[in-house]
Amino acid sequence: MKPTHRDLLVLFALAGWAAALPHYASEFVVSMALTCLMYATLSSSWGLFCGSTRYLSLATSAFFGIGAYTSALALEQMPWLAAIGLGAAIAAAVAVVMGAAVLHLRGTYFAVLTFGMTELIRHAITYWEKQVTGTVGRVLMVVPERDTIYLTLLGLAVLAVLTSIAVRRSRFGLAMAGIGADEQRAQTLGVNTRLVKIAGFALIAAFAGAVGAAMSVRWTYIDPHTVFNPFIGFQTVLIALIGGAATLWGPLIAAVVFSVLAETLRLQAPQIYMMSLGLLLILCVLYLPGGLASLRAQTLRQWGDDIRGGWRNLFSRKAKEAL
Amino acid sequence: MSLGSWLELIASGLITGGVYALVALGLNLQYGLMRILNIAHGEFLMVGAFITYTAHVTLGINPLLMVPISFLLLMGLGLVVHRLVFRRLTRTSPTLDIFEARGLMVSFGLMFLVQNFAQTLWGGDLRGYDFMADPVAIGGAQFSANKILLLVLALTISAALIVVLNKTLYGKGVRALMQSPTGAQLMGIDTERLHPLMFGVGLGLSGVAGCLLSMTYTISPSMGEPYTVTALIVITLGGFGSMAGALAGGLALGVIEAIGMHFTNPSLKSLLSYGIFIGVLLWRPNGLFVRK
Repeated sequence: MKPTHRDLLVLFALAGWAAALPHYASEFVVSMALTCLMYATLSSSWGLFCGSTRYLSLATSAFFGIGAYTSALALEQMPWLAAIGLGAAIAAAVAVVMGAAVLHLRGTYFAVLTFGMTELIRHAITYWEKQVTGTVGRVLMVVPERDTIYLTLLGLAVLAVLTSIAVRRSRFGLAMAGIGADEQRAQTLGVNTRLVKIAGFALIAAFAGAVGAAMSVRWTYIDPHTVFNPFIGFQTVLIALIGGAATLWGPLIAAVVFSVLAETLRLQAPQIYMMSLGLLLILCVLYLPGGLASLRAQTLRQWGDDIRGGWRNLFSRKAKEAL
Repeated sequence: MSLGSWLELIASGLITGGVYALVALGLNLQYGLMRILNIAHGEFLMVGAFITYTAHVTLGINPLLMVPISFLLLMGLGLVVHRLVFRRLTRTSPTLDIFEARGLMVSFGLMFLVQNFAQTLWGGDLRGYDFMADPVAIGGAQFSANKILLLVLALTISAALIVVLNKTLYGKGVRALMQSPTGAQLMGIDTERLHPLMFGVGLGLSGVAGCLLSMTYTISPSMGEPYTVTALIVITLGGFGSMAGALAGGLALGVIEAIGMHFTNPSLKSLLSYGIFIGVLLWRPNGLFVRK
């Protein structure tokens, strides 16, 4: 069996099981599954662009918030799916403008700039609401059924993974991987890097916008502080990195682990949750830079050797001091 | 506006600017020397502030005495963090680009860790104490004494750091490492010793800034993040790795913010600083004061 066929089969099996979930599971499990689908979509689409090109974008929460606001404003005038499409479109449009301005900067500059732009958008919308409309936040009056939201998010997650599978095999995906490996060489070999980068950035922004549009109705009340929360962006990056940003299934696995962790720990001990999140991130970057998906028996053996080596060093140093 | 109120406005800008400069100098030392963009930098400022607060309120230690103590404590913490995290990261990262990206991620982790640790330890409330709060009149403008003290100390420490970097052999080594890491290593400069030391000094500076801030303003576990962002803005203004640029950039940003807030309104403050930040990064990514 070809790897693509295997991936597709796994995807459909998972999707079928997930689609049946709301019919028998409790309210709590469904809400957990929603968080899980949200982060699965966000982080696998993030990994698609940022994992392969190694442009570290922290702007996910900006697109998420734009999507959420769009659907909050548009849902009274148009049907559900159209509102989500509009959210995705506006987020993608913002990404094209933002990308055209910042995608020539690499590395830390890019990461910091995307973070700064997210904060700028958040503060601008807060300011606008305070000064012009006179209210901070909006209450959503028209809210679709829970199962509709669930199926929409499931659809988005499946679409994100399908896009990931398809793009990885296309010229577009190869061009992005080429940019990640060596941007100048890719350019020399005839890749229009600027266009590819902007297209990739807009693609993941569209996903984040759609997820934001779908999730906003779950909360019934939104304000800039919740939907533009930079933490949404951080957690997306975290999940993708811990899972293995350049892999297909890594972000998905990590998203499941994290949503379960988040929903169970966050309510009882939010600080402990955040601290373990930070610790996990540090440990993961230090000891598993390729992510969970790169974990093999060999990695574990390597760790074993490292620990044993560390002990031996410690003992030999002590022995030297004793002498 | 009268001369006195102009003076008051500019001086209050300089006072916040002094703190900005101090925080930015520390961050700049870490980024300029080691390429560690320490997003958790402001969190260590918060730790410095809380250490001073606790020492003053429970043990009755004079906050002024806490200035060197918090520097040393935070510097020790910096040495430990560097030893545990960044040393391994330097060794395992294949290229500088990858090191930078990984360092950024690690410092995000540190930020979560430190901030929430402080929240569990001290709780999320606003705290403060009174120290030298009597007003002093200078040329028709009035300031509380602790703010003047803050400005003077911030400027003295920043100036001292710049002098040390410019005049001593250690400083020469640091500057050489900033210009060309490989070249400096070939000349026999020991990065294994200088990197942890400078990382520690960076955190120590942010601890001092926190200590000074706690004398004047109320403190809370979430106070650090805005200062990180401001420090980022300042080092972009002054140029990554330029110490005098960070000092000038910090003071300039403080004054710009004060004047901008006076003529528009306070809720525009963060919008203003992010606007400046993005504008500068797009227009002159190497800093305002760099001549090419």
